[in-house]
Amino acid sequence: MEWYFLISLALLPFVFGPDPAPGLRRTRAESRNLICERVTPQTAAQRYPGEIAPARPRGDYVERSVVVCNERVMRPGLRKAQDEAILSSLQELTSGLVATAHAMRPDLADKTWLVETHLTSGPVAAKVAFAVKNDLVLRGLAVSDRTPILGFGDVDVITRLEPEQAYAMACKRYFATGSLGPDHALLAIANLDPRETILHAGICADGRWEWVR
Amino acid sequence: MLRAASCPCWRRSSRYVETSIPAALPLELPPAARPRSRGRGSLRWGRGGVTLILLLATLFSALSMGCVKVYQPVSGLNRPVVIDTQVANFQDVRLAIYCPPGDLVNAEEARALCRKVGLLFENQGAQVTTFSSDRRHGDDSLGNGLEDEEAEQVSEPAPIDLAIELRGRQVHQAVNELSWVLFIGTFTLVPGVSEFTFAQDVVIRDASGFLLVSDSLQGRVVRYSGAGMWITNKILRLGLRDKEDRRIGDKPHGELSEDFYGQLSQLLFNAKMQWQVLQEAAPAGSAD
Repeated sequence: MEWYFLISLALLPFVFGPDPAPGLRRTRAESRNLICERVTPQTAAQRYPGEIAPARPRGDYVERSVVVCNERVMRPGLRKAQDEAILSSLQELTSGLVATAHAMRPDLADKTWLVETHLTSGPVAAKVAFAVKNDLVLRGLAVSDRTPILGFGDVDVITRLEPEQAYAMACKRYFATGSLGPDHALLAIANLDPRETILHAGICADGRWEWVR
Repeated sequence: MLRAASCPCWRRSSRYVETSIPAALPLELPPAARPRSRGRGSLRWGRGGVTLILLLATLFSALSMGCVKVYQPVSGLNRPVVIDTQVANFQDVRLAIYCPPGDLVNAEEARALCRKVGLLFENQGAQVTTFSSDRRHGDDSLGNGLEDEEAEQVSEPAPIDLAIELRGRQVHQAVNELSWVLFIGTFTLVPGVSEFTFAQDVVIRDASGFLLVSDSLQGRVVRYSGAGMWITNKILRLGLRDKEDRRIGDKPHGELSEDFYGQLSQLLFNAKMQWQVLQEAAPAGSAD
């Protein structure tokens, strides 16, 4: 009887491989901290040469499949959920916004782009601004690090307006005060509601405000 | 431990055999040492064997029924959710929900899914209309047509703000053959492992059909069959695991629903915000 248990226990590691699912070897929190993707063995062999063996020329004896998992950079709970949601898909979000802006206003391609972010978290806003500038540069556009500035009176009035009026008014004032010249275009990135996990973008050029996404 | 426990039983039984041998047959061999003979004795042994096999088969079936299902969010389902699904996030939003049956869900399951998702959004203040068919009505391969009460609604289509379409599909299914060989060989002590990966594709559009959000939520369910895993899991849940981990293997569908409804609510809220921004961007007088 004891041999039965011993042999069974010795065989267990062959059954429980490095599976990302929660179970005997992994807690629920550890499992949820992984971002996984199921890929074909060919794709996995290309991405991780040496770690995943490519398929044999005449096919494998058993059907193989690969689940690739990456641990999150930050443990869940360390950052605010909204910040985590934005930063975990930053590349995807910013490149989408820049692509839409570039496609909607191709006439602004020869202007110098300025970037402004309106987010509740300062560090996240800085990261988003950097990612957006990076995407603009990758598209061959001229980018400036300068931020347009408004006077105290303008800010006092604009912050009392509804968001849909505030952005248009700020754009007019930028142009009127000369903070944003005719050779500049401003791409403003905003998060309009604390409950959303996406970003919106609008363009200010020649004193005219336009939402692009 | 096992040997020490079994020895006294063996001694007692052998002592009983010795004392029960009649004095008239002092040289009779014990049953185990007796040469096998054909006839009534072998028939009795055969019946015992059949009974033993039946008992073992019954026991094996009973042990095989023990199973632990584990759910793991693969991608999308474990993203952070910001909104609170208990408050009115979609006040006065007119929402149409389409749940066409497909490879993963049949018509009945599609209707049940639509009903549950509809209730989820109604509780958050939306005015919901559900359809267990494809949004593209001309495509018969994707939907089975509308139900009667839904057909009435189509004859007088209610104006909608947003339309959400849910399609389930199977991404992968696998059985670990080695584990099932060991499962039988070890009498279910080593679990037989099978797994299943699914995707729920979510598409949200506005009334004009403009695409607002498109996402795929993927999850995985791993099933461990056998008494070994079932008993181990029960023992671990008695107190050896942390409080949060005691849910492992217990109602995985509840955990999946929690993730799915949270993500769905977040996606719809993002789509609603996107829709409002685009309405502001739209030139005055344009439709929707």
